[in-house]
Amino acid sequence: MSITSPLAKRLAQATPAPIAMRMRGLSDRWIAWIFVGPTMLLLLAINIFPLIWTIKLSFTNFRANRPNAEVSGVGIDNYVSVLTDPDIWAAMQTTAHFVFWTITLQTLIGFTLAYLIDRKFRGHGFWTTLILIPMMLSPAVVGNFWAFLYQPQTGLFNAVAAFLTGVSPSSFSMLGEVSLAPWAIIIVDTWMWTPYVMLICLAGLRSIPDYIYEAAEVDRASKWRQFWSVTLPMVLPFIMLAILFRGIENFKMFDMVNLLTSGGPGSTTEVASITLKREAFEKWRTGYSSAFAIILFVAVFGLANIYVKALNHIKSR
Amino acid sequence: MADLDIVGVSKKFGHTAAVSDLNINIASGEFVVILGPSGAGKTTTLRLVAGLESPDTGQVLIDGRDVTRTAPALRDVTFVFQQYSLYPHLNVYDNLAFPLRSPLRKNSEDMVKTRVLEVARMLRMEDKLQSPATKLSGGQMQRVAIGRALVRNPAVYLMDEPLSSLDAKLRNDLRLELKRIQQDTNATMLYVTHDQVEALTLATRIGVLDHGQLVQLGTPKQVYQDPSSVSVASRLGSPRINLLPREALPRLDLPDVVKTIGVRAEHMQIQLDATLASAHAVARVARIERLSDQFLVHLRLRDLGGREHALIVSAHPGHLAQPGQDVAIQILQSLSFDARDQRVRH
Repeated sequence: MSITSPLAKRLAQATPAPIAMRMRGLSDRWIAWIFVGPTMLLLLAINIFPLIWTIKLSFTNFRANRPNAEVSGVGIDNYVSVLTDPDIWAAMQTTAHFVFWTITLQTLIGFTLAYLIDRKFRGHGFWTTLILIPMMLSPAVVGNFWAFLYQPQTGLFNAVAAFLTGVSPSSFSMLGEVSLAPWAIIIVDTWMWTPYVMLICLAGLRSIPDYIYEAAEVDRASKWRQFWSVTLPMVLPFIMLAILFRGIENFKMFDMVNLLTSGGPGSTTEVASITLKREAFEKWRTGYSSAFAIILFVAVFGLANIYVKALNHIKSR
Repeated sequence: MADLDIVGVSKKFGHTAAVSDLNINIASGEFVVILGPSGAGKTTTLRLVAGLESPDTGQVLIDGRDVTRTAPALRDVTFVFQQYSLYPHLNVYDNLAFPLRSPLRKNSEDMVKTRVLEVARMLRMEDKLQSPATKLSGGQMQRVAIGRALVRNPAVYLMDEPLSSLDAKLRNDLRLELKRIQQDTNATMLYVTHDQVEALTLATRIGVLDHGQLVQLGTPKQVYQDPSSVSVASRLGSPRINLLPREALPRLDLPDVVKTIGVRAEHMQIQLDATLASAHAVARVARIERLSDQFLVHLRLRDLGGREHALIVSAHPGHLAQPGQDVAIQILQSLSFDARDQRVRH
């Protein structure tokens, strides 16, 4: 007993107390910080810090390919030259053009599909899944895949278009012609993301209870009036949400354009993100491109905020 | 205002008969309440009249016109749903005006305004006309829903438990209001509920529905005093009617077909002298429930076979028995039912 007792004591001291025991001294507040802390640190490191760093760089003439060169502050020169650069404005216009047409097409087609598929016909589950497939593919896959479809000689798109219109399939190149290339990208984006808009609209349509329609029917509202005065107003917040998501996404559209045309032919499909990539990683004008990135960020952030306010206004009616 | 005839209407959902061979004739200006447990086919009956369901067999006639295959919009009926079926993006005014603005009606906007204001006044909602529908309380929403039915002045009003989702006080207020409105407008109403108080206070006639069949149709007084079966008898009356097997009350002189005896709480008297010769039974007081206007005495009645039966007697405060005490029971009125729970009249 006298021999084993000190040994047991030493063992007990060497064994760490259970975590609960050691944490007993901590208040709930501290435990909360321990849980939230890592996420906050991560957010700071990969979101907030780069943002602040970019803001800082945007006021300098720093070039990332010359790390040893002397860096000097240039004030708001970068911002001035971005905002007065006609090429930048051309890129902004191209972006606006893309955003406008993709959203218009995706909303119209997406809502129509949702409206059609909302009727519970036989096999609507199967059709819903089928329609959702493009959205689940990777943009890289979609880009390459459509590059093949758009091939003038062998592409399916050209073959079908030729079959329907009677022109020769190799007489036009969707990606190579100035007038067609923007539409080529709009078609691919619409093909890929209409299902997403449809899904959100479908959720909206499903949220309208049957008895509202029944009440409208007893109230002598025609199908047409039911659509305009029940369906559409009640789905509108959902449609606006879809437009918001797609708008933000397409404002910074990059991968599809980069894969399909890289901004060409000429600069007809050079959207803002492509210009930004060129300035930052081809011309290595880091300070200049940082200023451009900040301007884009403020623009998206501001527009989205105004939009969300409008959305809340509609929802609160 | 018009009369409504439901003639031999049946409706099945799959293999379940929701309503079978239903016959009800409602005269113009009548307030008929369909009463029954959930799943009895009450809502289906209303939906069949509204045209939201079409019957497998039978006819629905409004003002003598066969509307069985007519679309809901053309039947000149209104429907108040159990849920608050307001158009959420419209304000109270536009909700009330919605049925009047139907292109089928060709109402001028002036006429719409007059009518909406009239109904808003009736519902005491004039100050809320510009409020969005979603900003209203439950009671206000249901009042607007009822108002939307009232603006149209239809041939028949159909109401599906319009008060069931409201709290007790509001339910009482709106119930009185509905009765007043119906009397003022002399409207024909078909009203569904499972609440016996609503049925008794609102109805000119009550139809009791059970398993899709109309078990009894009559004035509240008839249905209460002269029920045709056990299920009807136990549907009306609070506390519920006491149902005892015949053996429990051997001193009552009844024909042999009688198997069950129904006695309402107010149709019994308690005598403290348990040895009373004229007593129909002797029972032991279990507990006494004090309500505001009456006392409910819960009794245990032991029959000849030694089985105990619960019994509730309503008593006036005064000569009160104590729990544990044996008391004599005198039965003033009873209802007799046969082995199939049907009424035996003797």
